[in-house]
Amino acid sequence: MRALEHTALRPLRAADAGATRLFGWRHNPLHQTGALAAALLGLLIITGLYLLVFYRVGAPWQSVARLQADPFLGRWIRSLHRFASDAMVVAVVLHAWRLFAQARSWGPRALAWTSGVVLLAVLFVSGWTGYVMVWDTFGAELAVGGARLFDALPVLSEPVRRIFAGDQSIPSAFFFINLFLHVALPLGAAAGLWIHLSRLARPALLPPRPLLYAVFGALTLLSLAAPSPLAPEASLLAVERDIPVDLFFAFWLPWANALPPWLAWMGAAGTFALAMLVPWLTRRPRTGTWTPSVVDERQCTGCNQCPQDCPWDAVSMVPREQAHGAQSTMVARVNPVRCVSCGVCAGSCAPMGVGPLGHTGRDQVAQVRQAYSNAGARELRPVAICCEHAAPEYLAALRDRDADVRLVPCAGNIHTSALELTLRAGAPGVMVFTCPPRDCRGREGPKWLHERMFNDREAELQVRVNRKRVATAVMAWGDRPAVLDAWTSFAARLKAYDALSLGQLDEPLGALCEPVPLEEPR
Amino acid sequence: MTHASWPHRLAALAVTTVALALLRAGSLVPLRATAAGDSVLRLSWSARPERIEQCRRLTNAELAERPQHMRLRWECEGRFARYLLTVTIDGQVLAADTVHGGGLRHDRPMHLFREYAVAPGQRRLGIRLRRIDANVRPDSTSDQTAAGAAAADRETREAQERRVRRAEALPEVVALDTLLTVASQRVALVSYASGQQKFVLRTHD
Ligand code: HEM
Ligand code: SF4
Ligand code: SF4
Repeated sequence: MRALEHTALRPLRAADAGATRLFGWRHNPLHQTGALAAALLGLLIITGLYLLVFYRVGAPWQSVARLQADPFLGRWIRSLHRFASDAMVVAVVLHAWRLFAQARSWGPRALAWTSGVVLLAVLFVSGWTGYVMVWDTFGAELAVGGARLFDALPVLSEPVRRIFAGDQSIPSAFFFINLFLHVALPLGAAAGLWIHLSRLARPALLPPRPLLYAVFGALTLLSLAAPSPLAPEASLLAVERDIPVDLFFAFWLPWANALPPWLAWMGAAGTFALAMLVPWLTRRPRTGTWTPSVVDERQCTGCNQCPQDCPWDAVSMVPREQAHGAQSTMVARVNPVRCVSCGVCAGSCAPMGVGPLGHTGRDQVAQVRQAYSNAGARELRPVAICCEHAAPEYLAALRDRDADVRLVPCAGNIHTSALELTLRAGAPGVMVFTCPPRDCRGREGPKWLHERMFNDREAELQVRVNRKRVATAVMAWGDRPAVLDAWTSFAARLKAYDALSLGQLDEPLGALCEPVPLEEPR
Repeated sequence: MTHASWPHRLAALAVTTVALALLRAGSLVPLRATAAGDSVLRLSWSARPERIEQCRRLTNAELAERPQHMRLRWECEGRFARYLLTVTIDGQVLAADTVHGGGLRHDRPMHLFREYAVAPGQRRLGIRLRRIDANVRPDSTSDQTAAGAAAADRETREAQERRVRRAEALPEVVALDTLLTVASQRVALVSYASGQQKFVLRTHD
């Protein structure tokens, strides 16, 4: 499975790099496929409500044909509904791909994964009902294909296919059931999304506005410029030759037509079972990198910050059982079942009392001390602290530019005291390279780091630290020029600053925040 | 060159356009459907197979021993008939096999749905459904006059019910032998009209 994850990561990184080059990391759609899928679900519900007003179960194809004949709204809303659902399939598949490749499919994420698989299945079934509702040649082909599969199950003694034999007209009850399912399933999916995201704090349900508008706008333009045609009405006594098939939803149709039904069922059931088993197949022992975070109750002052920063709501405040001196009545406690070992809490705790083993603030401070213990009188280089998932390929180029490169599992782990200590030890400056915020495996690492460094979020970088000497930048795979630019200008800034303040102490208050915008600059 | 430069914007636009074109193309892939072939002969019907029963007329004494609600004059044991279905096109046999009622015990109506690929043109179509199991007449050796008017009335009703059931069931033979023009890309549908107890051929909606 690890090998498969690695194999899946390669094309993903290539695609990520390409998309970042084209659209920039802020608007790389591949970084936010989950949010895009949720936004598209919203768009589908809105356009679907419009279509619902005109749909008639008694004359399905005719009612859609009437919509199609309306050149102002009907035709393009119908197309938008169709293309948005196709885009949603693409978004969801890429979303699942990404989380699998990034090893985010097991342990505390198993609920999100398995509910995601169910959501995808629901999406396919809603698509099936939606197309059958139209009752064009494609709809009838789907209905017959589905009936053929259903009849292979020992459920009904009368084959469902007899409904579509052509000796009687299709009862409107059939279209009514379809319509009911087509409305109920997406609403159920919206409710299922709640389960899907139940383990996440502050799930990002919408992509940044510009990306959202661009995606909706592009789909609207496509619907206006090249609306989807309406296939002829289904005729049960015709053998259709060219049926316009939506392969995003009916990819299974050619196989189901060619294979014996039992084999088609085995394929479908096997794929579903395998997808549901992924969390089990990709699970890791909770040791080393994957140890859950723990609270050192002797250090905890009950400040309630780590529960606020944990992106998985894995920390809660509980009454203290043993009073250690005169500390708080409440103490933080990590639920290991929900903790994904992201380490974001390590950076959130001023007294350094929480974090996965080896990554707490104390561990980080010890590592900095160790790194500078025998620095002696040699000239110290500026430090580039990089998230190990960002773009390891660019580290060599940073080293070539005189950076002292350090790796961290997630930028959100970094304790500001470790940054301060690095400067005190003599490093002329520290630049932290994070992943693009929407692609952080710790979900909120870059965001919280930025807030702690520049906006006084608890466990903040102390005022005494000169902000001219610290900076953050995004290291997006695919945007090497920006990474190197950020570094060279930071290094140049340090040099210029050193030249100015030669022999003087840094004047901290004169150099306050210089935040790097993580969201779209206004 | 940053992603905000013009060449980048143009490239982004081009890639978006291609992605949209692919999305549309994937949404409308012409597929040559139906594995069945160019033209199709479709058989589709639901019909009740005849019940093959061995019936015995109970004596008055036997009847008196039964609980009130189980006093049926004729006691029948049996099963539903099997039929031999033969389908021929221009004398060539497409199918010749046994068909029976649905359900595990074959005691439900016979639901049949089959499709055969046929080449377009003028064809002689033969379909024949013939009962395999011989029917059995009621055994009436223990005949006795019914005791009382109510019992006699019930016996008549029972006989009537059996007659109705037999009339609703498939007859011993149903057959269709006809010249058929099979049009290209069309389905010739043969269904069973239980009222007339015959096959009906349909080629248009
Ligand atoms: C209707 C379809 C789906 C929608 C709308 C959707 C949406 C989302 C959203 C908005 C997030 C939160 C992202 C964040 O804030 O970090 C998320 C997380 C997640 N999704 Fe989905 N998803 C869908 C289907 C799937 C599928 C099919 C899978 C996998 C088979 C999946 C697996 C996950 C996992 C594992 C997470 C948690 C990520 C983490 O904890 O790091 N989702 N999803
Ligand atoms: S490591 Fe910390 S922040 Fe991350 S999930 Fe566990 S408790 Fe939450
Ligand atoms: S951040 Fe630290 S001090 Fe505050 S509640 Fe969490 S463990 Fe306790």
